[in-house]
Amino acid sequence: MPTREPAGPVTEPSYLDVSHGLKSWMLTLDHKRIGLMYLFGILIALIVGGSFALLLRTELWDTGKTIVGQDTYNQFFTLHGAVMVFLVIIPGIPAALGNIMMPIQLGAPDVAFPRLNLASFYLWVTGAIMLVLTIPFGGLDTGWTLYTPYSLASQSAVLIATLGVFVLGFSSIFTGLNFLVTIHKFRPQGMGWFQMPLNVWAIYATAIMQVLATPVLGITVLLLSVERFGHIGIFDPTLGGDPVLFQHFFWFYSHPAVYIMIIPAMGVISELISTFSRKPLFGYRFVAYSSVSLALLSFLVWGHHMFVSGQSRLANMVFSALTFTVGIPSAIKVFNWVATLYKGDIRLKTPMLYALSFLLLFTIGGLTGLFLGILSVDVHLHDTYFVVAHFHYVMMGSTLVAFLGALHYWWPKFTGRWYPESLGKVCSTGVFFGFNLTFLPQFVMGARGMPRRYWDYDPQFRIFHQLSTIGAYVLGLSLFTTVVYLFWSFKNGKKAPRNPWGGSSLEWQAPTPPPLYNFETPPVLHELYNYDDIVEVEEDVWERQLPEHVHEVAAAVATVKAARVEAAASTDVAPTEKNEALVRGIATEESAPVTRDEVRAAVMSGVQTEDIKAAAKLAAMTETAEPAAHRNDEAAAKAEAATEEAVHVAQQLKKKDEEPKS
Amino acid sequence: MSAPHDPHDGHDAHDAHDAHGGHHGSRFIQHHYDDAQHQFDSGKLGIWIFLAQEVLFFSALFVAYVLYRVHHPEIYSYAHKYLQVKFGAINTGVLIFSSLTAAWAVRCAQLSQKTGLMACLAITILCACGFLGIKYKEYSHKIHEHILFGRYFDPCVSSGGEELLTKGNECEASKSNIVYDKAAGKATSGCLAIKKIDQDPKAEGVQATCEVKEVHGGTASPIAHMCPAHVFSDSPGMTDEPEAKAKAEKTEPKEEFPCWEPAYQPAVCKDTEVGILVLYGPDDHQERGEDYKIDATCKDAPAVPAAADPYTNQAGQAMQVGKPAIHRGHELTAHEIRELDEEHEIAGPPPAHTGMFFTIYFAMTGLHGIHVLVGIGVFTWLLYRSWRGDFTPDYFGPIDFAALYWHIVDLIWIFLFPLLYLIH
Repeated sequence: MPTREPAGPVTEPSYLDVSHGLKSWMLTLDHKRIGLMYLFGILIALIVGGSFALLLRTELWDTGKTIVGQDTYNQFFTLHGAVMVFLVIIPGIPAALGNIMMPIQLGAPDVAFPRLNLASFYLWVTGAIMLVLTIPFGGLDTGWTLYTPYSLASQSAVLIATLGVFVLGFSSIFTGLNFLVTIHKFRPQGMGWFQMPLNVWAIYATAIMQVLATPVLGITVLLLSVERFGHIGIFDPTLGGDPVLFQHFFWFYSHPAVYIMIIPAMGVISELISTFSRKPLFGYRFVAYSSVSLALLSFLVWGHHMFVSGQSRLANMVFSALTFTVGIPSAIKVFNWVATLYKGDIRLKTPMLYALSFLLLFTIGGLTGLFLGILSVDVHLHDTYFVVAHFHYVMMGSTLVAFLGALHYWWPKFTGRWYPESLGKVCSTGVFFGFNLTFLPQFVMGARGMPRRYWDYDPQFRIFHQLSTIGAYVLGLSLFTTVVYLFWSFKNGKKAPRNPWGGSSLEWQAPTPPPLYNFETPPVLHELYNYDDIVEVEEDVWERQLPEHVHEVAAAVATVKAARVEAAASTDVAPTEKNEALVRGIATEESAPVTRDEVRAAVMSGVQTEDIKAAAKLAAMTETAEPAAHRNDEAAAKAEAATEEAVHVAQQLKKKDEEPKS
Repeated sequence: MSAPHDPHDGHDAHDAHDAHGGHHGSRFIQHHYDDAQHQFDSGKLGIWIFLAQEVLFFSALFVAYVLYRVHHPEIYSYAHKYLQVKFGAINTGVLIFSSLTAAWAVRCAQLSQKTGLMACLAITILCACGFLGIKYKEYSHKIHEHILFGRYFDPCVSSGGEELLTKGNECEASKSNIVYDKAAGKATSGCLAIKKIDQDPKAEGVQATCEVKEVHGGTASPIAHMCPAHVFSDSPGMTDEPEAKAKAEKTEPKEEFPCWEPAYQPAVCKDTEVGILVLYGPDDHQERGEDYKIDATCKDAPAVPAAADPYTNQAGQAMQVGKPAIHRGHELTAHEIRELDEEHEIAGPPPAHTGMFFTIYFAMTGLHGIHVLVGIGVFTWLLYRSWRGDFTPDYFGPIDFAALYWHIVDLIWIFLFPLLYLIH
């Protein structure tokens, strides 16, 4: 009879209950609470940014003035863009969901620098307040891109906005820095780079860009701010400055920023598609590498935003060619996801509906990006609604949809509550259809020449604008309902189990919701994206069950432990005092550890006890020798030899592990 | 029946929940780290990533520097002469030395040498303060002389008192503009070295004694009358009238007008309306800045000779006010010709948008200065902590990280110094 893996009794209070009161949240260093506060802020910002979108779509219902004049309209689209980009989609997945889930996926108790994490959050809040403060102080009408020279001349509150963006930039940089160090230094032993969940890979790639691209935006908006009040002339053509330099700097950040938005989405989608297809992710390494290569390529294509800004023809051609290379890693991902779906046992839960929407919308968004990468076509399509539709398919249709998918996927885990599943499905369908209704017509009118950011339009475009506006309302209603039911379910939802989806990564081993330091018992590493042993014991409750020969293996492991103690005691690499102490330490340890890889290999393939014993003996020798090696050169040589042998035996074991399957 | 409870070997996250203290050696090891080494390694990686971020943060300025230098090399070769290499070099030495003491501090911390640690930190702080002190001197000089960025680059308008613009050039901005006929040994344009004032003539009402209704400006406006000398006591070539001149000499000059190239400031008086027209340029027909009003009433505007050009007047006039200078028609000595040749070669007239160099200069050195300031703050905090005895051979990360930060601040300066001060 199969055995359930012991989940371990939940004795510690969850991170939500561990302390109470405003102060316990405001000064918390817990990554989950910080992430939750981010999430709260981001959902508020989503409503604000979405309201501006609805207002401007309403204005575009008909030609001429519908509800507001030109100046107000300019402010609507600027604030919509700025709020959505800087406050919602850039921090959405990494800072909010990444903060909550990434350390748990690594089996770590927290991020590397919890105080820095809290500081990032407060920087985000400060930046957000500054962006919102532009509204009472004259609004913002430059477009979210803040292009010079208009942003130098505009009468609106550009200075507050640029300083706000500067602060937000540093929030993003510190988050990225924190995550990079966490991923490097907090992986548990046994989790190599290629045993990391793809979400972690994606966050890693994102963090690289956050750290390396955002400072350029920081200095750019800082210079813009100084230019605004000090007239230093760096971007001001009347003083000899170069406004196109601003565009270069801006896009050197903002193109990677697009990938800062999309790559975490891709990471999430990899998790969702694998989990809900009950299949290992096809081409794991390719998907992992493609995240990093996208991150690197993102630094090389900024010029494609400036094909008509007077760039040299050579630069245009180079940037155009490089732009196409971005298609390769993106396509690798899409093909691998589709291959994962193939013959999968697909479960159409709300997160999966979002994931499937993502696949379709990202493909459309990505392919239309290639249109725009073609120089001649871009001259025609530049600054039209085609561009608007393209980047909304990527930023909203992909990133926001993936964000919603991830939110529903992990919601039961970090809140401990179910969202209403049927309502979730209705809303995700609403998001999908509303989104397409909003933006598909924009492709058509953009290709026909409707320029973006215009308050008025030719009557021939009326039908497209009206379809788009209807779609926007469907989308807005779905999103608003989603936000409302999520807030509702936080307190009132049904209690969620430990593993509601049958996920294979470490977060599903943590209690629901997790305690302060995430795990009560150390999580056990299993093969990632292998769902063979995870079974649904009742509806939406999944547990890992171990194969029948587990007892045999347990006995073997006990023998191994004994062998290790023996090996440690009799090892001849203990000439120094320190080494002896070390040996004693191992000998007296109640349960000498066996590496998880060994156990997994043993459990999965039922290999001979002797083999495990041999491996463990060598491993024990290695472990004994290695720390000593820092102080003892003689031991180092022996340790090296022992390590080599251990690797050899481990390879043999692995071979055996694979044999029965084939 | 229970499955093997997999022991969590090695890097045990769960252990990290334990209260720390005893077995980790330092009470500053945070709960979520395995041990002191883990915390140190994480911090070290973190600071390196931060430094990478810093490089990128400065990179945009370096790109701007390169871009403008490629497009306008003349600005750089002209403008860098305003910088004083001496100060830059001293600062370079100071910073490099402070980097040494910062690195030494790390070593002292590793060896538990509390006194040495504190001494090294204190010296580092002192060096940093010294650096900023010298920087302050440079900045204040430039602000004083209006050697500033963008549209505020206006060095002639207000350099302080008799002070000279650059090394050894008594009348640089004008001297280098003097057109002279080498064969004839005569200057065909002049230079007025006028005692400069530190007052912006654009500020309204500075010369106020009378009411203004209209201001004449631009070359189109006829210069109808010259103002009486007592209103504009120091204006050169204002008047030939001996009484007025005498009066001007008697009256303590309250305001003086600045010089720009062969510039002069004839006041324009039309009945009771007084304005000032500032002309400059070799042709005297370029209007400098906006016209400005002065609240002054010309009570009696005595007739003055129509000829307002100081060069056509007696040469002595120009010299009354400031230092001796070359005037039009001046017989040039061989020495003067050589001087002028040199001057033309090195200075020349300021190229258009010279202020861009100072935009870059102030942006780069300013941002660097802010980093130095932050460094002072950090080292002061560390000094306090070392006084408190926080650092042990097991826990010296903060010193190490701060020293790394300090090295990058140093390194950036090592790039800035030649790029700004030492170029040709």
